[in-house]
Amino acid sequence: MNALSSRRALAFAALTAGALLMVGPLVWAVGTSLKEPADVFASPPQLIPDPFTLQGYHDVFTVLPFPRYLLNSIIVSVTIVTFNVVFGTAAAYAFAKLRFPGRNLLFGALLLTLMVPFQVNLIPLYRIMVELHKITPAIGTDTYFGLIAPSAVQVFGIFLMRQYISTIPDSILESARLDGASEWRILRSIIFPLARPAVATLAIFTFVTAWNDFLWPLIITNSDNMRTLPVGLALLSRKNSVNWTDTMAGTVLTILPMLLVFAVLQRRFVEGLTAGAVKGAG
Amino acid sequence: MGVLRTLGASRLRRVGEGYALITPAMLVATLFLFIPIALSAYWSMTEYNGLTSPRWVGFDNYTYLLSDPEFTKAFVNTVIFVSLGMTIGPALGLITALLLNEKVPWRGAFRTAYFLPVTTSLVVVAVVWKLLLNQDGVVNWFLSLFGIPGHAWLADSSTALPSVAAASIWQGLGFETVVFLAALQSIPGYLYDAAKVDGAGAWARFRHVTLPGLRPTILFVFVIGIIGSFQVFDQVFVMTQGGPSGATTTIVYDLVQRFRDLDLGKASAVAYLLLMILGAISLFQFWIFERRSR
Repeated sequence: MNALSSRRALAFAALTAGALLMVGPLVWAVGTSLKEPADVFASPPQLIPDPFTLQGYHDVFTVLPFPRYLLNSIIVSVTIVTFNVVFGTAAAYAFAKLRFPGRNLLFGALLLTLMVPFQVNLIPLYRIMVELHKITPAIGTDTYFGLIAPSAVQVFGIFLMRQYISTIPDSILESARLDGASEWRILRSIIFPLARPAVATLAIFTFVTAWNDFLWPLIITNSDNMRTLPVGLALLSRKNSVNWTDTMAGTVLTILPMLLVFAVLQRRFVEGLTAGAVKGAG
Repeated sequence: MGVLRTLGASRLRRVGEGYALITPAMLVATLFLFIPIALSAYWSMTEYNGLTSPRWVGFDNYTYLLSDPEFTKAFVNTVIFVSLGMTIGPALGLITALLLNEKVPWRGAFRTAYFLPVTTSLVVVAVVWKLLLNQDGVVNWFLSLFGIPGHAWLADSSTALPSVAAASIWQGLGFETVVFLAALQSIPGYLYDAAKVDGAGAWARFRHVTLPGLRPTILFVFVIGIIGSFQVFDQVFVMTQGGPSGATTTIVYDLVQRFRDLDLGKASAVAYLLLMILGAISLFQFWIFERRSR
């Protein structure tokens, strides 16, 4: 009994030390965002800013285009999630439950692309966007279309949803068909409600990936008006003389929406981000 | 007869609806997956600058890259980065999961704390660690408490790459922990009881019950982790910009540089080399685990 509890105490101590290492850097980032630039590298370090100032946040919201970055990040992420949920689920349903010539071939072709890293598509994708931009300036490079379209339907999402929809019994669908329901209607009134847990996982996974995406938004945007938060933040932090309080205020602004979602949906959130683990270990 | 005809008609209608349901997905996949994958395969065998039309050169880009010091350096750097991250990361994740599995108080709070960095983007992680690792930053201050002199971690070519790897390990640890913890909890308790009855000590139980139970999860963590970290770019872009003097240039960083220099043929070849490396690694990993589990 004594050996057990001392072992537990040891585990607790080790975990506490580890947790400080995990949370500490984020706390330090928040603290720095509330400092005056001169105090950022004060020795000894100031854990609690003295004096305390909101200048960093003032800069980020008025001098730097962070409100625009934030707006872009929201528009891009929310649209990508919506498209993936609607079109991804529709395709997943057809691949799981409907019979049509070429079904397995098309699904197999989609699955193959899962093995191709994004960098293989990167350059042609950029060239395609350049050409589209020549047709009309509303689409292609440096537009919302350019930011959103390549992620609008993701194969991993179709795969995830198909796995789940396969477990829905055919008898439910058959009886709806006998009642004269079209496949659209079945998708809307049977599949979506029944697959809600999988839809939630898909939505969270897609949202986090889209919000944190960097390489593509970096390549496809070239004006401050179209930058997303990670791109704006990265470029700010690469300036020759970094203003660390502004940069950390921008950092906090980038993390905050994600932390809010995480706080509200914690369990689902962890499930959403480790979605592949179920597949891998199952 | 009449019933049959209606059945036939409704099946035909369902085929049409099937195609309609997959059309948006297939359209996006064709335009932004299939065509680009084929195009870059072609461009990887051409000299192409995006302005004049591509000139066929066969496998020249590949042979050039394999002996190009910049690419080979990027390859070696990436392998070092992956090796550091994929040994220390999963090991720390497994240890943390084993500790959390000891039914310690505040387990939920710990889990949240370790998972917190996973929710942040790599750019955020890189920016925060660039601040911490600054010559006058907190890391050096902390080390000075133990009499260790300060160091310009990201400006020294011998410490820059390990520093970038450390930041990445910090970000991924919570993911590995949560996945390992879920797997640990799915190992049935009676296996441990049976092992105890047979007189197995703690190490023997870990070796013969825990590790075999974790095998599919370990495979998953390695496959996902190695594939992901081979594509490292964001952290390098923010923390070191590939420097100092190429010490942190990774495969994808090299690709983006060639792309920016309008050397699209060689950049496409880099992309396909990356694809081949990742494919070979995945096959090798599955082969190893197939053999072991037999």
